[in-house]
Amino acid sequence: MKHLFLILISLFAVSFSASAKDGDALKSLPVQDGGRIKPYDSFSREMLEIVYGKSKFEGRAATEIVLTWMLSPQAWHDKKIFEVRNHEVLTALNLPKEQRYFSGEELFAGDRFTLLRQELQSKRETKEKLNPYFQALQRLENQYFVFQEIASGRMLKVLPPKEGDTWLSIADLEPAFQEKFMNITKSFVINIGNVAKGESTEQSAKDLDKSVLDFQDAARAQNPALYNVDSRIKAEVHYNNFHPFRWAYIFYFLAFIGLLLVWTLRKESLMKGVWVLMALGFILHTYGFGLRMYIMERAPVSNMYETVVWVSWGTIVFAAILELIYKFRLILVAGTLVAAFGLVIADFAPAVLDPSLQPLEPVLRSNYWLTIHVMTITISYAAFFLAFGLGDIGLYYYLRGEQKHQEQIKGIVTGIYRAIQIGVAFLAPGIILGGIWADYSWGRFWGWDPKETWALIALLGYLAVLHARYAGMLKHFGMVVTSIVAFSLVIMAWYGVNFVLGAGLHSYGFGAGGVEYVSAFVAAHILLVIYVSVIRSGKRKLSS
Amino acid sequence: MNKASAPQKNLIKTLNKPLASLKLAVFIIISLAVITAVGTFVEAKYDAYAAKKLVYDTWYMYAIMGLLVINLTAVMLDRWPWKKRHASFVLAHIGIIILLAGAYITAHHGLDGSMRVGIGESNNLVQVPETDLTVYTSFDGDRYSKTLEQEVDFFKKPPSSEKPFVVPTYEGQIKIVDYKKYVLPSRKVVPGEEGKAGAGVRFQLQNPNVNVVEWLVQKKPNALASQNFGPAQIFLGSAPIKGRGKNEIFLTPDKEGLQYVVFQKDSEKPLKKGFVKEGDVFDPGFKMALSFRVLRYLPAALEEWDLKDSDAPTPLTTSAIKIIFENKEHWVLLNDMVKLFTNNSVYLLTYGNRRIDIGFPIKLHKFEVARYQGTMRAAAYQSLVEVPKAGEHLISMNEPLKHNGLTIYQASFQEEQGQPVASIFSINHDPGRFLKYLGSLVISLGIVLLMWFKHLDFKVGKSRKHDGDNA
Repeated sequence: MKHLFLILISLFAVSFSASAKDGDALKSLPVQDGGRIKPYDSFSREMLEIVYGKSKFEGRAATEIVLTWMLSPQAWHDKKIFEVRNHEVLTALNLPKEQRYFSGEELFAGDRFTLLRQELQSKRETKEKLNPYFQALQRLENQYFVFQEIASGRMLKVLPPKEGDTWLSIADLEPAFQEKFMNITKSFVINIGNVAKGESTEQSAKDLDKSVLDFQDAARAQNPALYNVDSRIKAEVHYNNFHPFRWAYIFYFLAFIGLLLVWTLRKESLMKGVWVLMALGFILHTYGFGLRMYIMERAPVSNMYETVVWVSWGTIVFAAILELIYKFRLILVAGTLVAAFGLVIADFAPAVLDPSLQPLEPVLRSNYWLTIHVMTITISYAAFFLAFGLGDIGLYYYLRGEQKHQEQIKGIVTGIYRAIQIGVAFLAPGIILGGIWADYSWGRFWGWDPKETWALIALLGYLAVLHARYAGMLKHFGMVVTSIVAFSLVIMAWYGVNFVLGAGLHSYGFGAGGVEYVSAFVAAHILLVIYVSVIRSGKRKLSS
Repeated sequence: MNKASAPQKNLIKTLNKPLASLKLAVFIIISLAVITAVGTFVEAKYDAYAAKKLVYDTWYMYAIMGLLVINLTAVMLDRWPWKKRHASFVLAHIGIIILLAGAYITAHHGLDGSMRVGIGESNNLVQVPETDLTVYTSFDGDRYSKTLEQEVDFFKKPPSSEKPFVVPTYEGQIKIVDYKKYVLPSRKVVPGEEGKAGAGVRFQLQNPNVNVVEWLVQKKPNALASQNFGPAQIFLGSAPIKGRGKNEIFLTPDKEGLQYVVFQKDSEKPLKKGFVKEGDVFDPGFKMALSFRVLRYLPAALEEWDLKDSDAPTPLTTSAIKIIFENKEHWVLLNDMVKLFTNNSVYLLTYGNRRIDIGFPIKLHKFEVARYQGTMRAAAYQSLVEVPKAGEHLISMNEPLKHNGLTIYQASFQEEQGQPVASIFSINHDPGRFLKYLGSLVISLGIVLLMWFKHLDFKVGKSRKHDGDNA
């Protein structure tokens, strides 16, 4: 146990010292973008993600890449840096469909792109909903825009104005500030030159830091009130570097492995270690959550990414509570597995689950009801997610043999039943709280909005399960099956309303993405359920 | 217990049994889930109004809700006399009934509409989704009296040429023969009947920076029609003697063409006068070197609509009805009107959303949009309004004004050329509110207790025998 705490402490230490490394001051340069002040580190990551779909290019950090767009745009002319995934768009551009990354030359040089832009513009004028093709076109246009604006120096806004609140971009700086910024770019070029040549960067990195700090001092003097963002910027750079949620799922996964060892080797003594690993993951998870909260000054449950993180957190809490009550290891197995899965998905699908920190839509602003209602509803999804994980393990036991594993199946069904009860106990009041919020804010308790309606449908689904169980319509196998099938309703309420239906008051431009993966996930589970049912009925016939 | 000693109660219980069955409950719950799920897909394809009309506000939805209430009542009757351990179950179920009762009262006696108030203006009329058909009749073309007002629901019951909706009038009848849910309208101007229709002119204003082509049509002869273009305002109608100190062009219809009078910003006296025919150009004499060209001139002109069908609604579509009067066809858009003439009388037919007087005016003093720093993205917006008795009040997102039993909520705003021009409020009155809150509270209490009482716990492997109710 002591060892693990030491690991944790050194982890924190490493991450903090990493942010204080020479040459890293540039990361903390405040930039105004997307309606807030963020560190250049976040800005460059987000921009590279828009253009390239990833936060690194050929192993080089976004902070480097994005600055070189501005310093030598012509050098990027034929670099394959624009990601295009939509086949229809590629066909329209006469480009090969197998390819995913293209150079600006290939995409934007001909007049095809201009024609497509006009097509998009006329579609916008009719104000119809954009289908995936037009959404992809829109993304392409945005990629083009972002690259051009950064290259021209108009996008990177680094200097607070003397009056007003729109910051000045590099292109608009006065000569004195131009010069100061030139110093940054000069020492930046020397530094990456040294890196490329494999020479010592000790001095050049220090020079770079000095030029950045020099610029910052001058910028602060221009308007101290607007430039007073240091601690949040530092926290955000630390958040970006440290990546707390990645550590959290690593620990959850280790705990999961530990549980497998406890199970296969039958070594109860390992359980302590499992709890410690889980606790470490949980602390880091909570820490990351707290960091986001500190940076944005609000509860981080306003988009898909944030709710996935929050739900994973909830599954760990519920799994731990149920485990403490029932002392049944499989609940923890399901909990750690599902939480790790959720966090991994959040980490690896930035196109679908946007991890960037965004300001809120007007309707969501400054309202504690929002937080309470969203958190209550999504925490119920955590319980259903746990039931779903248990259902998967249940299927596994049915495949292994129902007779042999009666004990485990009973336990799993207890877990499922309890988890569903917990879920219902949160979801029903959550929906009611949503109604109270809607009434308080809009004078309307219930409006059949798709998001609230699907939350209700999910509730009805689980209520049907509980009542059917009570009526004896569902036996053990029925509970295992419904815990998996009913979770599709939660997926629809949680993800589908925004990404499949794309309608209603609750879908704030979340866009589309990943529909094929999510559908495949749901379909695969339903197929699995059918497969196991067929096998099971076959076995029953044989034995009878 | 006293089951054996009360045969009458037993009979009720026997009759009640099928209604109280859990299987029926499961069926109802699943039906509700399926119907509402369909509703969300209808909303995604069309809009909230269509979903309401086609799914949520239908006989089958009401039937399933009714069945739910019966089932909930029956199952509670079945458990009579209630014991302490029934508390959670009874509360959760009674709560649902109370909640539904509240929802029913709101649906039938509540108000849910929207109000647009221009900046500096005031309004006391709430527009609701229900549609009305109104006919006014006049025998002298001047004084109108309302001769018909009727609620119509063409969305659910569209008229057709086989089954038209007939409006009797003093002479003949107006037949409504078609209804389109979603059309994209564009205005067109056609020659009208002389003496009854006003004049129309299609003109072009042009200089190196400006190029505007527009129609101006008088609603009736000698009426004044106008259009503002920023640098100048164009009028069709008789010119005043003095200008108002603005850049204005007055065009007065004449037999073969138009008399024009130009006023300029810094003078009351006319700057220029003249006469133009179709095809002519003149220079109004403003400093910005504009030329004014008459593209088309109709001494009697009528505005009509060209309609393009659309499969689904967009912010630009509206609905429209087709009417036939004296063998002539007209399309009337929602919230628009049409004038119909015979030799002796004039009829004015309006088709539009009902407007309800809330009994007091809402005056909009100021409207402000706060944007996220350095962007055009709205962060918040708010209206400074004044209402009688309550005085001035700031309405912002999620901070509505509650006044006279109404909730006045900041819903959105209208913009023209990047500047807000009007605020849109949503106005609600919810008479079922108390019951909804009470129901919610009771349900929540029930759920909390559910965790307490053991009898609903599922015990692995134990035989489940509860009062014999799940036979």
